[in-house]
Amino acid sequence: MKHLIILWIFLLIAFSMFSQTVITGKVIQEKDEPLPGANIYLQGTYDGISSNPKGEFKFKTNKTGSFILLANFIGYEQFSQKVDLKGDTIRLNIQLKEKFNQLNAVTINVGTFEAGDKKQAVTISPLDMMTTAGANGDVYGALQSLPGTTINGESGRLFVKGGDSEESQTYIDGSLVSVPYNSTAPNLSARGRFNPFMFKGTLFSTGGYSAEYGQALSSVLLLNTNDMPEEDQLDFSIMSIGLDASGTKKWKTGAVTGTVTYNNLGPYMSIAKQNYNWEKAPESLSGEISFRQKTSKTGLLKFYSNLDNRNSKLSQYDLVFGGKPINYELINKNQYMNASWNDQLSEKWGMNAAASYTYNTDNVSYDLAKVKKHIEGAYLKNTASVQFTDKVMLKFGGEVISKSYTQQVQLTNESHENSFANHNFSGYTEAQIYASSKFVTRIGGRVEYSDYLNILNASPRLSAAYKINSKSQFSAAYGWFYQNPVDNYLLYTNQLKPERADHYTFSFQSFANSRTIRVELYYKDYKDLVKLNGTEFYLPSSYDNSGSGYAKGLDFFWRDKKTIKNGDYWISYSYLDTKRDYRNFPEEATPTFASKHNFSMVYKHWLGGIRSMVSVNFRYSSPRVYNDPNSTVFNGEKMMPYRSLDLSWSFLYRQNIILYGAVTNVAGFKNEYGRSYSITPDDSGYYQSAAIQPSSNRFFVLGCFITLTRKGNANQLDKIE
Amino acid sequence: MKKIILSLAVVFVSLVSMAQKPEYMQAMGETLGGFSTCKNVEDFQALGNKFEMIANAEKGEWLPLYYHAQCYILMSFIEQGEAAKRDGYLDIAEKSITKLVEMVPGEAEVFVLQAFYLTGRLVVNPMERGQEYSGLIGQANGKAMAIDPTNPRAKMMKVQMDMGSAPYMGLDPKSFCPAAKELLASWDNFKPKSPIHPNWGKDQVEGIVKGCE
Repeated sequence: MKHLIILWIFLLIAFSMFSQTVITGKVIQEKDEPLPGANIYLQGTYDGISSNPKGEFKFKTNKTGSFILLANFIGYEQFSQKVDLKGDTIRLNIQLKEKFNQLNAVTINVGTFEAGDKKQAVTISPLDMMTTAGANGDVYGALQSLPGTTINGESGRLFVKGGDSEESQTYIDGSLVSVPYNSTAPNLSARGRFNPFMFKGTLFSTGGYSAEYGQALSSVLLLNTNDMPEEDQLDFSIMSIGLDASGTKKWKTGAVTGTVTYNNLGPYMSIAKQNYNWEKAPESLSGEISFRQKTSKTGLLKFYSNLDNRNSKLSQYDLVFGGKPINYELINKNQYMNASWNDQLSEKWGMNAAASYTYNTDNVSYDLAKVKKHIEGAYLKNTASVQFTDKVMLKFGGEVISKSYTQQVQLTNESHENSFANHNFSGYTEAQIYASSKFVTRIGGRVEYSDYLNILNASPRLSAAYKINSKSQFSAAYGWFYQNPVDNYLLYTNQLKPERADHYTFSFQSFANSRTIRVELYYKDYKDLVKLNGTEFYLPSSYDNSGSGYAKGLDFFWRDKKTIKNGDYWISYSYLDTKRDYRNFPEEATPTFASKHNFSMVYKHWLGGIRSMVSVNFRYSSPRVYNDPNSTVFNGEKMMPYRSLDLSWSFLYRQNIILYGAVTNVAGFKNEYGRSYSITPDDSGYYQSAAIQPSSNRFFVLGCFITLTRKGNANQLDKIE
Repeated sequence: MKKIILSLAVVFVSLVSMAQKPEYMQAMGETLGGFSTCKNVEDFQALGNKFEMIANAEKGEWLPLYYHAQCYILMSFIEQGEAAKRDGYLDIAEKSITKLVEMVPGEAEVFVLQAFYLTGRLVVNPMERGQEYSGLIGQANGKAMAIDPTNPRAKMMKVQMDMGSAPYMGLDPKSFCPAAKELLASWDNFKPKSPIHPNWGKDQVEGIVKGCE
């Protein structure tokens, strides 16, 4: 009996010893390098261990039977294997495969400046757009400190990589904006219609963009409005040029924001010397309403509407009649509405719908002539995306752009009315395929039909990116881009084809330690550009598509947020070589909007002691050309170079009160944008001229921003221009 | 009343389940002991691994996930390397926190941890994330305070936030010292629901109070 018990005990001990299984081995990566810190354990148990610095592991378990052994590590695919625990030693060599993760994978960034992405190495963030001196709260102004753009002070619009301003399109939440700039008198700088504070992110593509975007020869600017606000809020701003009040009411699944803005440059112009004689300083009143509603856990519906009225009266000297002052009066009414909806319908399917409507009227009175221009535009787009696997995504959609344009000209004894209506129907598809986390290609195409021109076009788009290491990558893009001729020509003829530009772009980017360097080379081949032959612009037979041109250049960008403590600077430089034969050019020539060298340096510094952010921006553009009709050489004259040193200062007075001041061209550099000539020569056959100047050499603005919330901790820091 | 019954029921059920899980309690207790010896990223990773293993074995328990996230948040603070790496750790923490918010939406500790996680995000790039994340941190901690105004970790987070943002508001960070001292004095009044419930933070407050002198 006693022996039996001893035997029992012995057996029990032996059994329990016998049943202890040892699991040991090594965890390695794809290149056979050891992987320390990996988690190796039996599923559903507390038995496991982390691999040591040599990748080795060893642990014991009292469990018996069939179990699943798991091994995992951040960024690697989980390893699992069935093991039979029988009390012996199990040896395992585990190889973990790197997980494919789009966030860490290479991205196609050729030609694009993206902002608003929280995690990736961004080149320019939304905050930058607000705090960059010289931008003066204008989206387009801020973009003009990036490479690829040329500053045209007499226009203010975007001129990208040797492209005219009409070649750039703006999209808000996926919808095309027909009239993105406000109306101005000739040779005066325009601003964007939209408050930059509305946007949470921007993507500025200077070439080679996705097949989703058409009707743009040079660039697209994609603006995405803010999603749901965080809380109820009231904002007020008082500036030397106007007032602004805005209120936000939020509920559980939605929010509404209303804004009223009144601007009047009168008081400012009465104390700051102006180069022009304003009979009535620019004045505007606008109202905005935006609405957000969650439609599901992932779905969001956005609506935005803006009503804007502005007017101004400028006295200009007529060059024909020996400097007699003539009033140029402008009254503009603009309404813009935009709606968008997007939802991730399932893990695979995403849907994006967008629609917009534009109503714009410019009433211009000049001497005895009256011109009324009226644009009505509607836009509709739907895009679906399918994520087949981690590595393959397909996007396809359709778009309708409708535009009608009427121009009425009333002269002393005659009047003309011209108009056209066009509908563009487009379809596009694009596949993005990752061969690995190092190599990605995007292949797409777009088909467009214009009913006014009765022409069908197809444009291929192709881009690829290759990541050399975790910091650096190459990208390349190629594509055909079509755009209908400018509105002023379509008024008189529909016997034209869309103009075309082929883009070839190659870029290198490296990002490490908060420093970014980027170099881009490009070549653009312009075809089928519209030519106006002779002076009879009202005859359809005066127009044809025989024009052509090219633009080539190099863009350089460097940003460093690291070297100087609390400081951040970027340098951008563009070299541009372009010529074209289009519009009324008698021969191939460099267009007036192109300058060979463009340079900008922005420096920002946070002064903690006085709670201030200061920003300095220096910009330089080499002389552009202009045409003197008295000379035999077309576009043979050179303007002065453009130089401007801008400063801005924001001071956080209280948590919810910000004081702001900015000066553009503080050094008072003299800037001139060529000369304008009288249409007809004087008695001696000479064309009289006058210099085109900015409205003032220096510009300053002072402001105060106040935010009221229930909690009282929000401010408009993200709103400083 | 309904709420009280419901929360009593929850407490009861969890007590019963704890009593039924001596193995779980033991494993958690042992693993929690590991916090005191963690010095570097690797140590916290190994500890996080253990919590991950327990979370995997006990799918109904939120505490293993809580500590798993905490390990990764701490890793992001210790890591001196590039921002992408720190964000990578926080991505892991974020996943656990998302699960936690779904699992126990009425637990103040979860929102304190969320505020802590968001602080980690902010610290990676204060210049660019400061504005947005300070608002989000305030919101998350506000939720915690609303659920349990007595939670000392939520109070600590508030003091840290106030002190951190004081220079931007023209205030002296030391004006929050009395609040820190009061918090330290009353710290032990808060009794965690069990030995394995969150009970950290006193050291940090002691550090703050020390800094005040």
